[in-house]
Amino acid sequence: MAKGWLFRLSLLTVLVLASLMAIAPTFFNLKQESSFPVKSKINLGLDLQGGLYMVLGIDFNKVYREEVISYARKAVATLKDSGIESTVGTLEATDPMDPRHSIILTKETDRELAKEKLREFYNYPLRLTLDEGNTLQYGLGRDYLREIEDTALSKSIEVIRNRIDEFGVTEPEIISQGTDRIVVQLPGVKDITRAKDLIGRTAKLEFKFVNDEISPATLNEWLEKAKKAGVEYKKGERWSDYISEINKNLVNDLPKGYEIAFSKTLNKNTNVVTDLEPYLVEVGAPLTGEELQEAIVRIDQQQNRPYVGLEFKPQGAKIFEEITGANIGKRLAIVLDGNVYSAPVVQGRIAGGSAQITLGAGDYNSTMMEARDLALVLRAGALPVELVFEEQRVVGPSLGADAIERAQMAALVGAFLVLSFMCFYYKMSGLIATVTIVLNVLFTLSSLILVGATLSLPGIAGIALTVGMAVDGNILIYERIREELRAGMTPFEAVRTGFEKAFWAIADANITTALAGLCLLNFGTGPVRGFAVTLLIGICTTVYTSYFVSKVLFEIYLGQGSKKSLSI
Amino acid sequence: MATTRNVNYVGMFKVAGLGSLLLIVGTVILFFTKGINYGVDFRGGVEVMVKFSEKVELSELRELMKNNQVPLSQLQSIGDEAQNEFLLKLESDKGDLNAVSNQVSSVLTTEFGEAKFEILKNDIVGPKAGSELRTSAFKALAWAILAIMIYLALRFDYKFAPGAIAALIHDVTIIIGAFILTQKEFSLQIVAALLAIIGYSVNDTVVIYDRVREIETTHPHLSTTEVINRALNETMSRTIITSMTVLGVSVVMLVWGGSVIHDFFFAMTIGVILGVYSTIFIAIPMTAFYEKFSTKKTA
Repeated sequence: MAKGWLFRLSLLTVLVLASLMAIAPTFFNLKQESSFPVKSKINLGLDLQGGLYMVLGIDFNKVYREEVISYARKAVATLKDSGIESTVGTLEATDPMDPRHSIILTKETDRELAKEKLREFYNYPLRLTLDEGNTLQYGLGRDYLREIEDTALSKSIEVIRNRIDEFGVTEPEIISQGTDRIVVQLPGVKDITRAKDLIGRTAKLEFKFVNDEISPATLNEWLEKAKKAGVEYKKGERWSDYISEINKNLVNDLPKGYEIAFSKTLNKNTNVVTDLEPYLVEVGAPLTGEELQEAIVRIDQQQNRPYVGLEFKPQGAKIFEEITGANIGKRLAIVLDGNVYSAPVVQGRIAGGSAQITLGAGDYNSTMMEARDLALVLRAGALPVELVFEEQRVVGPSLGADAIERAQMAALVGAFLVLSFMCFYYKMSGLIATVTIVLNVLFTLSSLILVGATLSLPGIAGIALTVGMAVDGNILIYERIREELRAGMTPFEAVRTGFEKAFWAIADANITTALAGLCLLNFGTGPVRGFAVTLLIGICTTVYTSYFVSKVLFEIYLGQGSKKSLSI
Repeated sequence: MATTRNVNYVGMFKVAGLGSLLLIVGTVILFFTKGINYGVDFRGGVEVMVKFSEKVELSELRELMKNNQVPLSQLQSIGDEAQNEFLLKLESDKGDLNAVSNQVSSVLTTEFGEAKFEILKNDIVGPKAGSELRTSAFKALAWAILAIMIYLALRFDYKFAPGAIAALIHDVTIIIGAFILTQKEFSLQIVAALLAIIGYSVNDTVVIYDRVREIETTHPHLSTTEVINRALNETMSRTIITSMTVLGVSVVMLVWGGSVIHDFFFAMTIGVILGVYSTIFIAIPMTAFYEKFSTKKTA
């Protein structure tokens, strides 16, 4: 017998025992407190156990626009501190990837000094794009653009994770894909609508003052005008798109620095807007949700209605006190994701740093639910950017159960057919092949568990195919052994030559399949990726079992080389 | 026990090649006339699979969606009629697909009540994601073929590469042709199947190349055509047995595996048959042809 067979046999035994231990929790229901060392079960893909798979895209154009507006405002404030009077000019976004914003100097003679000052303070985030008369125009700095992209992505992932953690999903997966995509997988989630709402909601909280100089009648007149010009909310359109379109259409009517926002009343059951009230609010916001310390559900004892209580951080509390003090008598709109929740009149300077969001009409339970989710998203933080649902797949639990059953059954039938054929065609050697195939499937399953890969429906297909293809290794060796036997070799020699000569054919064949598998892994998402992983793992286990394990088994079968005939 | 026959496979190359060429031309014509029936993955849009607990007529459902202005583009029942399962495809070129999909469930809730139906599956693919998936799918196929070509050139000899690649392109093209002809949906799963077929089809080819190389070293006096015919004949029993086992599994999965993986194994089954055919009649003989051609040129 070949040298080292004892070592190889022990290695095989250890691997088999380890694999059996790895798959045990999947097939037998172990109690939580049992002392069995392995606990992890196989990860079932969303298509098998139901759940939600989403690809969210980041709308960077909007981010750039908001950044450049916010910096223009900051720049005007900075100039004012240095004694230079200026006003915020207009936004120019012909290239949405690189929007610009102008600053109008009151005195043209201040230009050089203003440029100097702004370079000193904003050299990194801003770059000068136009310098003419009393106008300075700025775009965002090149490096700063890249930085925005990186932070937007990582911050979004962090926020989504926080929200999901509070929502409570076992084993969620949140990963980035490329530079502008986030993939979220929530297995086993029941309340899909709520989960979607919690994740997709930007939860951007802003406090903006309302311009009450324009009467509601004029506002409605403007809206009528926009409607006549074709700007109207269409079913299925994104609400935020509609709002930005209205503001674009009315840009010549609106006073500078103000835009239209709505308070929306929805019918809770049908999700249809029942009432819309327009407001004229500031374009930027002096105070935002970033300054929030805490958001909790409270109950108004008098009216027995839930609301969301907000606590600001010290810095936010200071800003809140300042702006309320300076704007007594004005209305302060609390704007969430572009919609006005409420707009109470500021009665006086508010110290202490707390505020509240009152919610629309509805019965106690639904208001409570709304308050809870709102407090949750505000606590978890706002998404730094608006996310767009690019791809979304929901699988109900019963589809998976039925599909598993059928695919499993078919895979078993297929495997049974192949293995009985092998036993019939190659006799004793076929039996050895059968043992190696069974071990192959065992190793594939245990590897899937150990690397934490996901078994999807195409994955089951992958295992079935692995069985079909794995016998190829055995067939290659056996056909070779038969050839060598026909050429007059003794069984012992024929087996040795067969294994030797077949090795490279097996290796080459599997490497080429692996190359295709790697391309698939690189391309695929979700279930397709599951198939690729299963295929790749299957290739590794196939090479090991159909070559090395068969060899050990043959060595045992042939013993010391005294056998005169071989059952093949 | 199989004995080694002596069939002149290389001699059949011209006939087989002509047949394959016709199939490929047919596919190209189908591609431009009928076109691929892209699934929601590649086309973008909304697909809702719904199961009712009691009998619902197809026409009734269609009427309901129409009356509620749901942009339904296709409606079909799945599996047995008794299962009451339907697939609704919705299209919306602009606006929020999410809202369109919610519309379906709210219409169904108002009409039937929440207890009477279940959403089995709901896929929403935005137009941007759809077209990107399409590009990356074809890229993945191209990369796989390229990677295999490089491997073959490095491991064996550059003369082996053209035949193997021609065979791969041949297999993939004709399978796509079969999908156009039957108007089955071309989805992500099918791309996965195509890549698996690429891996599998070249498998056969490589095993025979391996034998070609071996015979070349042990019998240096044989001509390329003789070497190739001999290699094909010697490995034929292996080729047939392996293909039969894979085909067996594939057909069983196709027939009993359930609707979700049906199309995947439809592709697989055709792919396995094509894979063997193209290995024997295209990939390997083409090597002889290529060699003859290139030696003539240099001579």
